[in-house]
Amino acid sequence: MAQRKRESGGSASELTRLSLLTAMALIIFIVEQQVPFPLPIPGAKLGLANIITVYAVNRCRSGGVLLLVLARIFLGSLFGGAFLSPAMIFSLAGGLLCLAGMLPLRKILDEKHIWLGSIFGAVLHNTGQIIAAVFVMKTAAVIGYYPFLLVIGCIAGAFTGLTAQIIINRLK
Amino acid sequence: MNKKKAQTALMIAAAAIFAAAAAVSVYQLRRTKPNTVKIISDGKVLYTLDLSRESDREIIVEYEGRRNVIVIENHDIYVREADCPDHTCIKMGKLSQSSTQIVCLPNKLMIRRAYSSEESGTDGTA
Repeated sequence: MAQRKRESGGSASELTRLSLLTAMALIIFIVEQQVPFPLPIPGAKLGLANIITVYAVNRCRSGGVLLLVLARIFLGSLFGGAFLSPAMIFSLAGGLLCLAGMLPLRKILDEKHIWLGSIFGAVLHNTGQIIAAVFVMKTAAVIGYYPFLLVIGCIAGAFTGLTAQIIINRLK
Repeated sequence: MNKKKAQTALMIAAAAIFAAAAAVSVYQLRRTKPNTVKIISDGKVLYTLDLSRESDREIIVEYEGRRNVIVIENHDIYVREADCPDHTCIKMGKLSQSSTQIVCLPNKLMIRRAYSSEESGTDGTA
């Protein structure tokens, strides 16, 4: 089986690696927040920080990726002033559902199809977001945004996935 | 190889999701827009307005101490002020130019068109 190399070293080296990835993801997240997204759809953005998520999904253990994503969401919302807000609940639901799909998918996809896993990650992220929004907003009307989010999610997911794929293949 | 087949299937699935989402998006953008508008706060319908008959005025909606100033102007409706950090609802502009609805997530506020197919006969008038 052509398994990609995954970090399985000592816990200290893995912890350092994950911390570094978290720091990078947070920097990208905060910088992206300063750039206004041109389309007036709540919850829609490029999600450039997910380049790090896609990289980690393909290079780290599942537990490590989960820690990384949780730290990104909690610290990111703390820095962005959205701690414990609906927006944080939406990204939490989206992020967890996204991982639930991407972690099994990495076994199927080779190093030329990482972008494909990223598209499904984005689609699942949007799905989680909308499900959480239905419960928080107490209305099914937000589902009207779902198709718009999916279109943007597919494009953004392919873009971030391709970027991560190039990075992963260069750093071999 | 099995893996290759799975990848092709996934690629087709991704393309199908994208095409379906794009088709529904286009359909939603082209749907004719009714004049009746609902202002909903935290799941409750506060106002049901017929924009074609409304005169220009302001409506202030409060939620947990935070407020949104909604303006009705020239048979159109938009949010002028909001004390949330992102101001997405203000940037969404006028409802006539918006694709579906105006939403303020932090204050759980929604301004949307009342399509006759859904939940007719909700209470609350201007």
